[in-house]
Amino acid sequence: MKRFLETGNFAITEGAIMAGCRLFAGYPITPATEIAEAMSKNLPKVGGYYIQAEDECGAMHMAVGAAAGGMKTMTATSGPGFILYADPYGWAIGCEIPIVVLNSQRVGPVSGITGAPGQGEFYNARYPTQGGNYETIVLAPNSAQEAMELTVEAFYLSERFRTPVTILADQLVTDGLEDISIPETDEEKEAMGLRFMDRKVHMGPDFYPATDEIDLPPTVLGKNTGAMCSDWTPTEEGYDIETVEAHHKPSYRMIYKIRNHTDVIARHETLFLDDDPDIIVVSFGTASRTVKTAVKKAREKGLKIGMIRPISLWPFPDELFNKKSTYLSVELDYDGQMVREVERAMPCDSDIHFFGKCGELPTVAELHEIFDKLLKNEPLKPEGWEKEVW
Amino acid sequence: MDRLSKKYLRARKIPSTACSGCGLGQCHKALVLALDELEYEVNDVVWGTSIGCAGRQTFATWQGDNFAGTHGRVYAIARGLRLAIPPKMKIILTVGDGDAFGIGFNHLLHAARSNAQMTVLVCDNLGYQSTGGQFGWTTPQGIVTDSSPYGMSEPNWVQPEMDVLAMLKAAGATFLARHVSMDGVALVKSLKKAVQNNGFSLVHTVFPCTTNFAKNALGSRNAVNIFRWVKDHAAPMGEEKHNTLWRTGIYHDASNSRPEFSAALRDSVAEIQRRYQHEGSH
Repeated sequence: MKRFLETGNFAITEGAIMAGCRLFAGYPITPATEIAEAMSKNLPKVGGYYIQAEDECGAMHMAVGAAAGGMKTMTATSGPGFILYADPYGWAIGCEIPIVVLNSQRVGPVSGITGAPGQGEFYNARYPTQGGNYETIVLAPNSAQEAMELTVEAFYLSERFRTPVTILADQLVTDGLEDISIPETDEEKEAMGLRFMDRKVHMGPDFYPATDEIDLPPTVLGKNTGAMCSDWTPTEEGYDIETVEAHHKPSYRMIYKIRNHTDVIARHETLFLDDDPDIIVVSFGTASRTVKTAVKKAREKGLKIGMIRPISLWPFPDELFNKKSTYLSVELDYDGQMVREVERAMPCDSDIHFFGKCGELPTVAELHEIFDKLLKNEPLKPEGWEKEVW
Repeated sequence: MDRLSKKYLRARKIPSTACSGCGLGQCHKALVLALDELEYEVNDVVWGTSIGCAGRQTFATWQGDNFAGTHGRVYAIARGLRLAIPPKMKIILTVGDGDAFGIGFNHLLHAARSNAQMTVLVCDNLGYQSTGGQFGWTTPQGIVTDSSPYGMSEPNWVQPEMDVLAMLKAAGATFLARHVSMDGVALVKSLKKAVQNNGFSLVHTVFPCTTNFAKNALGSRNAVNIFRWVKDHAAPMGEEKHNTLWRTGIYHDASNSRPEFSAALRDSVAEIQRRYQHEGSH
């Protein structure tokens, strides 16, 4: 085991190379630039390639292009670049090409604040491209160590599901300097729960089965299989077609290969849910770290408060929200994006409330004030807000 | 085309899905002829296409490996793919004028800068014809289209003082040519040279669109009229006439004069890896 005091960006690079990533294409953007820098330094040492592209749209297309040629590849960006991934992200979904995408969220919309954390791409990560008719896999780390581990997992899932996987981090996860353990031996990797899968090649000539099957090797160009992949609605052979009937099959596949196998993807952290807590706090990413401290301290004070942290963020883990309670979504955005999902998933006689900050973390004191208000049924009027948002 | 289609093309895609009278088949045939004359096999080529008439109609025609990329992005896809597939396999892209010179121009310029091996056959039908016939970046001035109903008033990128091939040359392309689809032997000859360049090659080929361009510009879908019109407005470089729009022939040939993108990167990575393994971990 190697130990470092390093950034999440460093940890992600180590995880990617460990998982077999041999090509990274990127475009400089705060706060994900250091991943590109570390990749440019470390990939050549293991025979891998770093490409700096003309823009994010080009970057992800290069990474997907190389993945279509059989390599394990990755790209990383922040919100303003993530929206430029829309085009290649859709291509990778439709062509069923495995690739790993990292988005280190900052404060938006648009350029916003570059060096501060946000969580404004909660829905954007679910719907990274246009057109619908697909599910997405999104993993949300809350530390540098977990970012490394989820990078490995993202490569694993992308191979099994033949689809892009997004790691939805934030500025504090990628820029934060933390203690990181990098396993070296197979035993250490196994003990850490890391899973790996090599790239395999679908020998064709068909492109996809109209089923929800996973663990199918992806189509690879350049292996003389007569492979065909395209942005068009494909027939099972891979030819382009424009009939509504033909579109049912790939749509079914892109939705249900993920929806019917969420057990392979699901990851979460829960705390104090066994005694039917009065409040269940829901948060992901860095926000969950102060939430966790606040919940533990509240328990020490005798308050019945629990916590749910989805780690696999999409498909949204509806099954975790099965208790009647007062739910509180704590997010690094002011518009309360996750509120809607919690509200949809929770029992209908539960309440949902929202506390948002952006660019900075909620403090334990602030969270305790919110808990007190909720327990006394007082409104949670945020400072400067004209009325309670939720 | 029987022999060639049996050897290289997929039966399912014959006859072509292009409109009756379309000149795209001339571009397509010239490229397949060039590959045949170079004695390429199906497995020597990965064939990529894009959006629009040129992309849609040529996708999955090749018996070997095919991809159709997003609009304007195939040059970026090809640069990534170039690093993943065997160096001796050729990437061939059949794209439209909107794809190359509009939405994809930035990626195209950077593909030229990096000199990544790809033979880009720009099949130019003088605008956006698959969407009904809007003007593009090569539509001649004065021409009526669905989105220039009073005549194309903007300048275009085949005017001598602002030729897109000059921009591509300045950007680093190592082989550039321009033709019209009825150039036949000359087009095949240029395409052969383009494919033989281990670097970025682009062959700009104007072809007649009978359905939309001809209907708007000439007021007729008669194929003979538009084929004659395109031919009349083309002349070999140095033999231009007063009405010449397209100066045909090889515009720039610096084939194999600069390192190819993926070859250079492979060499560089191999060198770093050797040095790193020699010096040990740092």
